[in-house]
Amino acid sequence: MTISLYLNRKTWVHQLDGRTKMLLVLGFFILALCFSHPGYLLGVLAVVVGGLAVAQAGVNVRKIWALAALLVCYSIMLWPFFVEGKTPVPGFHVLGVTWEGCVFGLGMGIRLLIMVWGGVWLLSTTTIEELAQASQRLGLPTRVGFAFSLAFRWVGILLGAGIGVIQAQRSRGLDLSSGTMVERIRKYVPLVVPIIGHALRQTNLLAMALESKGFHPSAQRFFHISGKMKKPDYVVLICLGMLVGVSGWMWWHGIGTLNVRF
Amino acid sequence: MSAQFSFYDPRRWWTDLIGVWQDTRLIVVVAQIAAIYAAILIPFKAGIPIIPGFVELRPANAIPIVASLLFGPAAAWGAGIGNIIGDCFGTLGPASVFGFLGNFFFGYLPYLMWGNLGCLSSGQSPMVKSWRQGLEYGLVCVVASGVCAGIIGWGVELLGLLPFIVLAPAIFFNNIVMGLILGPPLLGFLYPRVKRWQLLYEDIRPSFLTGENMGHSLETFSSENDSLFPFDAHAPSPLLVCREFSFSYSSQTTPALREISFSIAPGEFVMLLGRSGSGKSTLCYACNGLIPQMIPGLVSGEIEVCGEDTQALPVWKRANRVGLVFQDFETQLIGTTVGAELRHPLEYQEASLTFHDMNRRITHALSSVSLEVGLDRDPMRMSGGQRQRLVMASVLVQNPKLLILDDPSSDLDPGCRTQLRQALRQLRAEGMSMLLTEQDYEALPLANRVIVLDEGQLVWEGTPELLLRNPKMMRQRGIQPLALTECFEEHGCDPLPLTVEEAVVCAKKMNLMIEPSADVLDDTVRLGKQRPSLEGKSNPVIQIDGAWFQYEETPVIHDLNCVIYQGEFLALLGANGSGKSTLARLVNGLLVPTQGRIFIHNCDTRTTSTNELAKRVGLVFQNPDHQIFADTVWEEVAFGAKNLGCSAEEIVVRVRESLHAVGLPVEQSGGLDPFSLRKGERQRIAVASILAMRPTVLIFDEPTTGLDARETDWMMTMIRELNQQGHTIVMITHSMRLVAEYAQRCLLMDGGKFVADGSPRDIFHDAALVRAASLEIPLISQFSQRWGHTLLTVTEVKSSLKPQV
Repeated sequence: MTISLYLNRKTWVHQLDGRTKMLLVLGFFILALCFSHPGYLLGVLAVVVGGLAVAQAGVNVRKIWALAALLVCYSIMLWPFFVEGKTPVPGFHVLGVTWEGCVFGLGMGIRLLIMVWGGVWLLSTTTIEELAQASQRLGLPTRVGFAFSLAFRWVGILLGAGIGVIQAQRSRGLDLSSGTMVERIRKYVPLVVPIIGHALRQTNLLAMALESKGFHPSAQRFFHISGKMKKPDYVVLICLGMLVGVSGWMWWHGIGTLNVRF
Repeated sequence: MSAQFSFYDPRRWWTDLIGVWQDTRLIVVVAQIAAIYAAILIPFKAGIPIIPGFVELRPANAIPIVASLLFGPAAAWGAGIGNIIGDCFGTLGPASVFGFLGNFFFGYLPYLMWGNLGCLSSGQSPMVKSWRQGLEYGLVCVVASGVCAGIIGWGVELLGLLPFIVLAPAIFFNNIVMGLILGPPLLGFLYPRVKRWQLLYEDIRPSFLTGENMGHSLETFSSENDSLFPFDAHAPSPLLVCREFSFSYSSQTTPALREISFSIAPGEFVMLLGRSGSGKSTLCYACNGLIPQMIPGLVSGEIEVCGEDTQALPVWKRANRVGLVFQDFETQLIGTTVGAELRHPLEYQEASLTFHDMNRRITHALSSVSLEVGLDRDPMRMSGGQRQRLVMASVLVQNPKLLILDDPSSDLDPGCRTQLRQALRQLRAEGMSMLLTEQDYEALPLANRVIVLDEGQLVWEGTPELLLRNPKMMRQRGIQPLALTECFEEHGCDPLPLTVEEAVVCAKKMNLMIEPSADVLDDTVRLGKQRPSLEGKSNPVIQIDGAWFQYEETPVIHDLNCVIYQGEFLALLGANGSGKSTLARLVNGLLVPTQGRIFIHNCDTRTTSTNELAKRVGLVFQNPDHQIFADTVWEEVAFGAKNLGCSAEEIVVRVRESLHAVGLPVEQSGGLDPFSLRKGERQRIAVASILAMRPTVLIFDEPTTGLDARETDWMMTMIRELNQQGHTIVMITHSMRLVAEYAQRCLLMDGGKFVADGSPRDIFHDAALVRAASLEIPLISQFSQRWGHTLLTVTEVKSSLKPQV
């Protein structure tokens, strides 16, 4: 079963070095954190949307639109109840809802969207192996990167096994939709146990297979795929650096931030 | 080192956490916990929302605490990474850092706290069997859940995404409910098994953490017998030399290998045959050095590869000398693309390899196994046969001198097996030295030499031809002889034929011809009492009426029409992807036709619940491990009957009846752990649990996959008996031998359609039709067709071989 969000396209952002893409996303996140005013955040969102368009990643945005919409709605709806302000909203004043709180909620909703879509952009343009390699070059220990990519690969296997398990138990009469809350939760035991058992039975075999192929925690890993930064990488990073620099300066001077109290 | 620190010493925590990354097995455990957590997190939702559409009760939240009590700090890393992987499906962002931290502590605190709560500690193993254990578990759960919720809630508010007061209680509630309700039964099931598999953290943590000498025991035991086949010291510089090698697993008293001596010359292809448990895999592991380096036990004798003792260097440093392909090829795939899979071994081996050299090696490895796929292809989108060959290529890319393949074709269909043989032929032509273990003999003609193992001993050695012409010895050693040779065994033909052409020559030489009698042709000889009668035709049990089915936009079932009658034994044939398994799930009600209808005993599957259909149609899945979850065989078999709402007395009657029907011991089943049994026995448990629901129709999806000749015979005899007791049998299989021997009727599928419906004799009569569906009729049928008759079994051929007039 395939689960990765990676889209195999030939765009120039796909060709960027993994490190550039990771730093770019980190830049998106920093930009989002520099502002809380919806107007400024919309500007940052426009940059992210542009990135998604260039990467032809619309299909992944559509895949998770419901989740993103819900998250944004929750942020917009919940914050006004926790933020103090001066201008009450008629009808909601009793609950302490103010226009300042609503504007802040809207800003936080957009910030959340920037972060979610920023993550989608990275995962749409970068394979898991690229991520692991870039992480190592940025200082993450090789073994951690390897465990991450191995786990990612195993999620696909276990999801495939999970479908088989659900079908096998349903065909033995397991009905997950009936019963009290406790009964319904307990009914997951016949689903979860075979999946865990399936994985753990392979532990020794997988460890042996890895060492047979030359892997060992103490072995050094040499990446042979061309990992040199090219001109577009430097251009993107310089632009990003300038954007982050300007945004940091604005944040320092309180431009684009809402002065709210909780 | 850390043994001198107290448990509350932060230095100990640090050493434990870092130590996880010093051991391959612990790294694998980290990855597996992460994968389990993410895989359960994504699809399993209890349907009980806390914040509608956003935070929902999820069974996955019990995983960190359960894993922590089993795998200690490995669970902490696993839970943290698992959470990030879960985020990779749409919510990856800065909040993922706090998700990682929260889950890290959720997976670490239980390990730290258990047994260290002073008077509140139970002093017992981490299960919930007594009230003291329950109290300790509850405390651990509350603290770990609270810390996790606090960290995530605080972090998310810090980023300005959601208020702490909303998110933290929701996460805490989720963790605590799942931890308290789902955690104890999961622990109760997993703890004893993980302990038996020696995977508890205390069993696998590296020796430098325990301060003990974890070096594998290399004790020796004295030889009692002289070897049957002593090593020939005069052979020209062999690549592999095995000298009187014996091995006992540390958990077993009887040796798995006894006094094995043999050698493999450069460029030689040696095949290792023998029944299940004869020691084939053990010998493969020993040749690679995995025994005793990673599998401890009692060793004597020695094995040398390229003149070096296999114990002299660690396994991972020998990857460019010996390559090993394990039986379960799925497990060995670690890359998300073909290129990543093939680059990975090189990244750990060759510092000086240039980009160009690496590509050359990859291209050569792919061509050696005749695999033509793009490097950016996802292995999970490839067929089983292609994935198997990709694993071979990922071993070959390291240029090993010796390639060992442990039962590589056991899970492949006939088409993929043919591709695998093609790859082996290519490798042999390139001069690769190979050691191959197999349960069948399709690849035998490729081998230079065969070694037969039985009960851990080398009992026969010779050429493939010599072996195949000795069916008596093959039967003695649990290897299925060639059907053609068996046909001529009693006629004193010398040499016995191995091919259809040889059989024809042999028959002519002995003045024999095929002249079947009426009782052969009307299936009396083949099926006996089971022979189909006209009476059953009046009672249809399954009616498929213009059924279509499609996954997303691709139709996989096209306008199927057929009727299956009471008491039939029907074989569903076709290549992989022809729609057989989908059809089985449609009949069982797990899937519903997108067009048309299917009736089971006149009940429409579209309007009848799966539970109701389960009483009529039982589906036995290919992999029994996808359903086994209970502590005992009895509970496992009773599961389906309980779900149907049977009374306690009724369940007892049904379980006893079902266990008896599949030949499992009724009395011991209450204390027998299903996970301790062999695959063939676990398959029987799966059948028994279906039988306990008393369905009239039984569907078997590849019931003999992965079973050896003896286990296959047991399984098929049992299925035949169930048919004789009145069950209608539908069997999905690739084994044409089993179809020929047991089936009354065949439905041949190709591209989601029925292309033939008839008796095996009728279907096999049209060899071209069968071949068009990527299958091959048995050799004895091909042989008998030379005389214009299609015979199916050895018995039929034997009774039809008559002197020519």
